[in-house]
Amino acid sequence: MTTATDAGAPGADAGPNGPAALAAQGIVVRFGGLTALSDVSLDVPRGSIVGLVGPNGAGKSTLLGVLSGLLSPNEGTVRLLGDDVTGVSARHRAIRGVARTFQQPELFMGLSVREHLVLAYRARVAPRRMWLDMLNPAALFRTAPGETDTVDGLLERLHLTHVAKAPVAALPLGVIRLVEVARALASEPKVLLLDEPLSGLDIHGSENLVSVFREIVDRSDDGLALVIVEHDVAAVLALSDSVVVLDFGERIAVGTPEEVRSDSAVRAAYLGDVEPPTRTAAGQEGPAPGSAVDGQGAGA
Amino acid sequence: MLQFVIAGLVLGGIYAIASAGLVITYTSSGILNFAFGAMAFFIARFYYYLHTQQSWSIPAAGAVAILVASPALGILLYAVLFRFLRLSSPLTKVVATIGLSVALPSLATIIFGNQAIQSAPGLAPEPVRVFRFLGVPVTLDQVIVYISVVVIVVAGALVLKYSDVGLKVRAMVDSTAMTDLSGTNPTTISIGVWAVSTFLAGLTGVLAAPIIGLDATNFTLLIAASFAAVIAAKLRSLPIAVVVGLLMGVATSLIQRYLPPASAWTGEIIDAVPFIVIAIVLLYSLVRGGRVGETEGWGGALDRAIAPQGESKLAASTSSVVETASLNFFGRYAGPVVLVAAAVALPLVVGSYWVGLTSQAFAFAVIFLSWTLVTGEGGMLWLCQITFAGVGALSTAEFANHQGWPVLAAIVAGGVVAMALGALIGFLSIRLGDLYVALVTLTFGLLVENLIFTLPTFVNQGLGVTLDRPGFATSDTTYAYVCLAVFVVVSLFVVNLRRSTTGLALNAARWSEAGARTSGISVVQMKVLAGATAAFIAGIGGGLLAVSQSTVVPGEFATFAGIVWFASLVTIGIRSTAAALVAGLAFVMLPALCQAYLTPQWANWLPVVFGMGAISAAKFPDGILAENSRRLRRLFERVAPDTLADDRFVEEVRAGVAETEAVGVAPGVAGNAP
Repeated sequence: MTTATDAGAPGADAGPNGPAALAAQGIVVRFGGLTALSDVSLDVPRGSIVGLVGPNGAGKSTLLGVLSGLLSPNEGTVRLLGDDVTGVSARHRAIRGVARTFQQPELFMGLSVREHLVLAYRARVAPRRMWLDMLNPAALFRTAPGETDTVDGLLERLHLTHVAKAPVAALPLGVIRLVEVARALASEPKVLLLDEPLSGLDIHGSENLVSVFREIVDRSDDGLALVIVEHDVAAVLALSDSVVVLDFGERIAVGTPEEVRSDSAVRAAYLGDVEPPTRTAAGQEGPAPGSAVDGQGAGA
Repeated sequence: MLQFVIAGLVLGGIYAIASAGLVITYTSSGILNFAFGAMAFFIARFYYYLHTQQSWSIPAAGAVAILVASPALGILLYAVLFRFLRLSSPLTKVVATIGLSVALPSLATIIFGNQAIQSAPGLAPEPVRVFRFLGVPVTLDQVIVYISVVVIVVAGALVLKYSDVGLKVRAMVDSTAMTDLSGTNPTTISIGVWAVSTFLAGLTGVLAAPIIGLDATNFTLLIAASFAAVIAAKLRSLPIAVVVGLLMGVATSLIQRYLPPASAWTGEIIDAVPFIVIAIVLLYSLVRGGRVGETEGWGGALDRAIAPQGESKLAASTSSVVETASLNFFGRYAGPVVLVAAAVALPLVVGSYWVGLTSQAFAFAVIFLSWTLVTGEGGMLWLCQITFAGVGALSTAEFANHQGWPVLAAIVAGGVVAMALGALIGFLSIRLGDLYVALVTLTFGLLVENLIFTLPTFVNQGLGVTLDRPGFATSDTTYAYVCLAVFVVVSLFVVNLRRSTTGLALNAARWSEAGARTSGISVVQMKVLAGATAAFIAGIGGGLLAVSQSTVVPGEFATFAGIVWFASLVTIGIRSTAAALVAGLAFVMLPALCQAYLTPQWANWLPVVFGMGAISAAKFPDGILAENSRRLRRLFERVAPDTLADDRFVEEVRAGVAETEAVGVAPGVAGNAP
């Protein structure tokens, strides 16, 4: 199964839109004796959404860790817009345009919602302010150019305006997930890695977050790409331009949603030869009859 | 050689018993008991009271002190304190035990009297019998230590390995949550564990008293040394803790043999052995593992799920966060402004004796601001701010007396020297968990205290180094205003830092390292920045204090005195700059007031009060100042609504949350987008 996302050395050769936003090749990660990822490659073209699915323990979150720089792989390379960033730290990848969210939200409990966005924006656009502002009282009233537009625009788009001043410690999980997505977007990234962004949201919430993801990719001027790890396979198939399926640390399938849907290896990995699930009103929690994929449980 | 090994095993045996007691409570309750030394002292003092003051026989006094009073103390403390800490953050637990370590010795003085104790008897009858073992003289006291170690190791191993209780304890160590769910009552086990641990503390105390003397500081120093064995055991392994404890004792003894006994350095190196062990163990673990945290390999998924969120560090409670956010300009700044105005008036209204104390109080307030920054804001529990203050004071004297710098410039330069040390400690402790940071900073303080502060040039036969005031501020009143001005400038700096981009980034590094790094924020830089800046503040505070007293006596900057400073600040409040000012005034003025207007005995109660205050940080993390001003504000609001706080804010947050939740990302959000 060869698709546009699986051609040759990922990211090395420039496609029609230049090099891929993010590309991983031959990633191997071992934890002691356990091989969490073995020779996994992934190509994320600019302006696309790539879904990453697989049963529990398939290595999805590990791969996201490697892509974001929080984990270093034992073998393999990661390229960001054609540049090799394998040895680059998580922080410097963030500065170069990789943002991410976490399965267990990693928010800053002392800050308000708006402060999260402001900080993420300044960390990329005006990093020196992190050192200089402590000596300059006037800096409290100075915003970076474009900061207010970006931050307030995102707050409005994610319906967070009403809670903008609230400390995140006071917010429930569903809202916290939105804040994490908003913080990641506030840094105006080139690639956004989403680790189970829909868990904890109800069906309306998740449907609409999906539509926001589609919209920000489509409207992005500089080819924002998304990698989404999600248990809600139906949502991933509906949203993604291409899908990568992992099982036991190996890539067992890659292709368009239609190709993956009909792939026999994928069906075998997901508990036998069952039709892929259709999304039900019960949301991603309760598996619908025949939705063996969802039945694989939670957690990556 | 053999003689030294046998002698070393005595100290080693005491280390081993103490570290066993520390490991037991840490593994079973997650509490690293900084008050272990204070407990040991308390029981040893009780034994002395029974045996010497009340003339009880050794067996009776020993049995009552070690077998009855020790476990009873443990059970009592569990009932009134430790059981409430089970789900607290590591930082809160440490602060609570630090409070206890400050309160217990003073309580012992209050209960058992404060006569000077020249020598403390052990468990062997006087005169102590001496045996010969392989040609080496061994006292009965030493034999009792050996027997105790063997009995504890053998009995402990048998109980843990073969008994039903041992099985339950081991299960609880692996996962408290699962033990609870499988029908075992963790409370019963916890009570048992605390009883055993304080029994070991009591035994340590009674065994160690003849060797180190009945002195609370020596006891805490002994336990700080045992921390080395506990750290080597990664806080958890009982056998490693016991073996390392024994080895440290032997190593100390052997060093005595091979180093020249007359050299001043020998004694210092011997004192430093445990801290060198800590440094080696931590460096080795860092090089091997990259990170040393206390949660590694601990508990199951369920334990992690119910564990306190994100190592929440003396976090302000959620409701207080919202309430503070709702304050308007007046509500936010009225209190601090009134406070500073009162401080300005103070030197004018009090007598001349008190004016000198006022300047000291303001200098203390500056030192306390360093904790407001590093612990209150940065969430890092640094226990060596007093060391930075001492370094600042000594450097000030050096620059002013030997380099001929103006005093104020020398104070700033002293701050810079402290800042360099702070940056170093910040950098070295970057990859350490909260508890290790507390231990490393404590160790660093003790090392500097032992190696630098004892240098003859600084000690100057106990007189210290003299310092002149700046020419324009020779009067107490003027100098008090200099100190107050520095305090105001530094507080404005801290307040500005908190709200600036720097403060946001520091907050990010505090609450989520992964979140901060993937947002492009350097956790290393932020922690080093906070640590170095705080050390600078402590350094200039130390300089101001020294100039106010006209001398620097290095002994006044002992690490354990710093723990009392810390306890008094936590009591008043570690998060606000106003609290630092109040704490400075309270710390200096209350003892003086007791001296002047009450009997001196009342001063003994102050450490107890501050200790209890630090313990209560578990309940009021913002301290009593914030708690009471909140109550005052509510009272005021009733009389004059809407003057201090924007009441609608809380409602708005609530409504906003409800709306965002209900709508999720509402239908039509795509249309709303710009």
